[in-house]
Amino acid sequence: MIVDFHRENPNAARRISFIEFDSLPFVPIPKPLTDVVLPPSSRSGSSPLVGASPSKRASQLMSSPKAGPSQNAAFHLGIAFPSLVIGRLLLELTSLPALVKDNQQLSSALTSYSNLQEGIYLFRNGVDPYSGGSFRHSPLYLSLFATILPVTGAGSSILWTLCDALGAWALVNIWRARQRVLSSQRDTLVTAVYLLNPYIFLPNLAHSTSSFENTLMLFSLMFASQGRVSAALLSFALLVHLSLSSIVILTPLLLLLLLNPISRLASPKPLRSFGVDFKSLIPYVGEFILYISALTLASTSVSGGWAWIPQTWGASLTLPDLTPNTGLWWYFFTEMFDHFRPFFLMVFSVHLVIYIAPICIKFQYDPLYAAFLLIGILGTFKAYPTLSDPGLFLSMIAIFPEIYPYFRHPIVTALLHLHAALLMPLFNHLWLNQGTGNANFYYASTLVFACSNGAALVDCIWAGLRIAIGADNEGYAVAQE
Amino acid sequence: MRPGWIARALLVISLWHSSLASCEGEQFDEKLTIKSLRDGKVVSKFTFKTLLKGESPRDPRTLGVDDVSQHYTVFPLALGQILREYAVTELHLTLNAGNWNYDRWGYPEEPGVGTGAELWAWMGDGAQSSIDDRWEGLRNALAGLFCASLGSLDEQRTTSPARSFKPEGDLPDWGIPHQIRHASLPSEHVCTENLTPFLKLLPCKSLSGIASLLNPHRLFDADWHGMSVHVLWREDEGVEVRLSFQSVSDPLRLSLNWSFRTLFDRTIDRTCPVAQSSHVEVTLPTFGTYNINPESTSVAKGHANFDVAIAAKPLDINLQWDGDFEYPAGFDSPLTTLSVQRTLRGSSQARGQLSLVLSNHRGEALHVVYLETMPWLIQFYLHTLKIHINGLLRNDAMSEMSYIPAVPHARPATFQCVLAIPPGGTLHLTIDVAKAFLRYTEHPPDAQRGWDLPPAILTPFEPSHNVSLSYPTHKRIYTPALLVDLATPDFSMPYNVIIFTCSLIAFIFGSVFNLLTRKFVVIQIESSKEE
Repeated sequence: MIVDFHRENPNAARRISFIEFDSLPFVPIPKPLTDVVLPPSSRSGSSPLVGASPSKRASQLMSSPKAGPSQNAAFHLGIAFPSLVIGRLLLELTSLPALVKDNQQLSSALTSYSNLQEGIYLFRNGVDPYSGGSFRHSPLYLSLFATILPVTGAGSSILWTLCDALGAWALVNIWRARQRVLSSQRDTLVTAVYLLNPYIFLPNLAHSTSSFENTLMLFSLMFASQGRVSAALLSFALLVHLSLSSIVILTPLLLLLLLNPISRLASPKPLRSFGVDFKSLIPYVGEFILYISALTLASTSVSGGWAWIPQTWGASLTLPDLTPNTGLWWYFFTEMFDHFRPFFLMVFSVHLVIYIAPICIKFQYDPLYAAFLLIGILGTFKAYPTLSDPGLFLSMIAIFPEIYPYFRHPIVTALLHLHAALLMPLFNHLWLNQGTGNANFYYASTLVFACSNGAALVDCIWAGLRIAIGADNEGYAVAQE
Repeated sequence: MRPGWIARALLVISLWHSSLASCEGEQFDEKLTIKSLRDGKVVSKFTFKTLLKGESPRDPRTLGVDDVSQHYTVFPLALGQILREYAVTELHLTLNAGNWNYDRWGYPEEPGVGTGAELWAWMGDGAQSSIDDRWEGLRNALAGLFCASLGSLDEQRTTSPARSFKPEGDLPDWGIPHQIRHASLPSEHVCTENLTPFLKLLPCKSLSGIASLLNPHRLFDADWHGMSVHVLWREDEGVEVRLSFQSVSDPLRLSLNWSFRTLFDRTIDRTCPVAQSSHVEVTLPTFGTYNINPESTSVAKGHANFDVAIAAKPLDINLQWDGDFEYPAGFDSPLTTLSVQRTLRGSSQARGQLSLVLSNHRGEALHVVYLETMPWLIQFYLHTLKIHINGLLRNDAMSEMSYIPAVPHARPATFQCVLAIPPGGTLHLTIDVAKAFLRYTEHPPDAQRGWDLPPAILTPFEPSHNVSLSYPTHKRIYTPALLVDLATPDFSMPYNVIIFTCSLIAFIFGSVFNLLTRKFVVIQIESSKEE
């Protein structure tokens, strides 16, 4: 394959003895504007990848010269996208949602549909849902579902399917913005990877509100990729309001607003060389704080007090509900000694935050990729994860095809994921329903799941850095210093 | 000599006077009622009533200043001090073992028959220390007095169900609000260690009078037994302390006939000298032929009355059936108008369903107040509440719902509503519930046994009353306690879990930082260089 590559790319570098990122040749990229219609010939034929050495496989994944973008768009919008969404909707309308509604892998205490319904019931009957301990959803959910949004029946099935369809559409738009195309043949694949990913699909069937969080995450990244500052900040403020730990993505999101989503993984360069002005971040941060305060005040007026803050935001910091989920926190704090609990709660919360700076510094030239990696961190380490959190990370791999040839151990990671995905529901059932297993069974399977998420994360970081060196060469090996 | 003689005379006079005064101010009555049930079991109830005439409970606003000194002759001082210390207006403590079978035994004479310990008290607000502080002090003091684990009736068990627990006496009109605190602990086991302090509160202990029949060996052998302490205030009488012991014994196990000997293995040999009245009342069976010995003092309204003071000693009342005991016709038909069944369904340790079946045996519609005081271990999903009457969905049968949601690790849920059951109908109520996952330190030592859930309490209305104005009767019905099986963590490996999780996090953290901090280099492999 390497020989084939060099036969086809005679100009590719064959001998790189030592490379520092600063010394890599950088190809200046014009500022991408999605509203500018690019001529089809210039886009479809050439690889949209920039940088040192695009791989053959990656370029094959791009749109082929045979199909024009208009045909792609027609196929995607006319056939593929609607049929995927309708397929999902048909499954929603079966009795499957009732079956998986209370599954502990699909919805956590913070996102459970049963808890949401209970809160709305209490709200409608004049009981403050935040006076009790079980309702941990935002007051915004409460006001929306108690008034305009349907909470039961076919209406809710349509709502949740629509939510994932919008998420898929946003992911496709992020992909298009990264490639600076209006449509590509890969659009359908990206949609399918999002809509058919069981990690995203099953929590959605269980009507977990984590589906809304995923969609908001993709919307804020999409708006940021398209350079729409206010829309991006507003949807991100909504996301942070609904799930506090998502604040981790703020830094790469702001960098994405300064820069653009175009892939520079293959040609790393310090941020200062792009001539970005960090001072322009100040109004962005101000706007974000404004949105967050507005949402907080709106929530307070809806719920009639501040009691919602410890119930919603506080829950992800103090972990009052120890119902099993796919994360690492629940069993750790079930078994934790009481006098060490506050200390370890602090450690686990701070641990989420310490990844921001290193990842944002290392991937300063590609903030979308940094955001993607931090989403992977969240899916592995956040307090009340569901399957849809790592699911978002895995589906987002679809928009970074350039890194595929450089994964470190893709087979191992895939097998670990398969292993965990089979073991988790099995051991959960054996422990809680069958009574033939104990808590350690399920705990062990969540450890395997954390391993597989960690492995996927390490694979993506490795590939994102390794791509800058280019393809393997005979007689030379790539290693870490 | 003269002054000494006068002093001694004065002392004698004052002592005589004070004892006379106290005897005037205090009154002690004891009574034993014995009743044969239709299934041959015998229910006996001991009542020891002490009345402090003209006294009133302590006003909580005087808690800051020194209390008046307490001089009692027959009134239990240990209990009186607790009542004054925490300014308790009304107090009810019951310690029971077994399930009261309403269908076969009818309503008990003492309504508090819930399994385990139950404590409820009415207290006035307005003191320097809050009601909750005084409630905590009260339960700890009573725990010490009765050697029971009442200290576990903490805020995780405490509710304020004012509607089902109306004061039995009067509440003083101090111009301050009165509040109720209620807690129950179904896993509390009643035993001899609780009876001994109970007997100590009686003026004659168990040495004479009716109390001499309180033989722990026999009482705790009964099918159902329970002791209770009631303190209440009546405006025209004073503070009343009622100590009672109820038991349902099964003489059929030994012989068909019963006597003090077979029921208690004792007889009454002496009268209690301080008791103003001391009576044994036997409810005459309405079925079969029998003899009662000795001759009763009086017979009225189907009750044979024996005055212990004038009866020949030793008194051993016995009832002899002529021929074999025969179950009366229809002895299996329920004695109460309402039959209750409450179950927790579902085998999962994460979810379940609470089911309540109420059957109305009357020709008229029946209204009941349904009260659940559920610890936070069980979380209700009220939106799944469904009521079926005779198989048809009828959620409108429920009205006046009030709900205080539970707070994990802090507060139980209080769910109260009024249910209307049509004549001869069966009401089936179901609620989905979630079972909590506890920290490993919160589990009791025998965690696999499960947790006892307190009984639900149903209070039937008098149906002639207007529903919104009507006053629940004192006829509370306690359902049997439930046992919930909660998921348990592995108790043997907290260290292992901490080590495993921390290692995994450290491993992923290390891998990520290893990648982020080290540079990639391309190395020429020696062998290929040589080629």
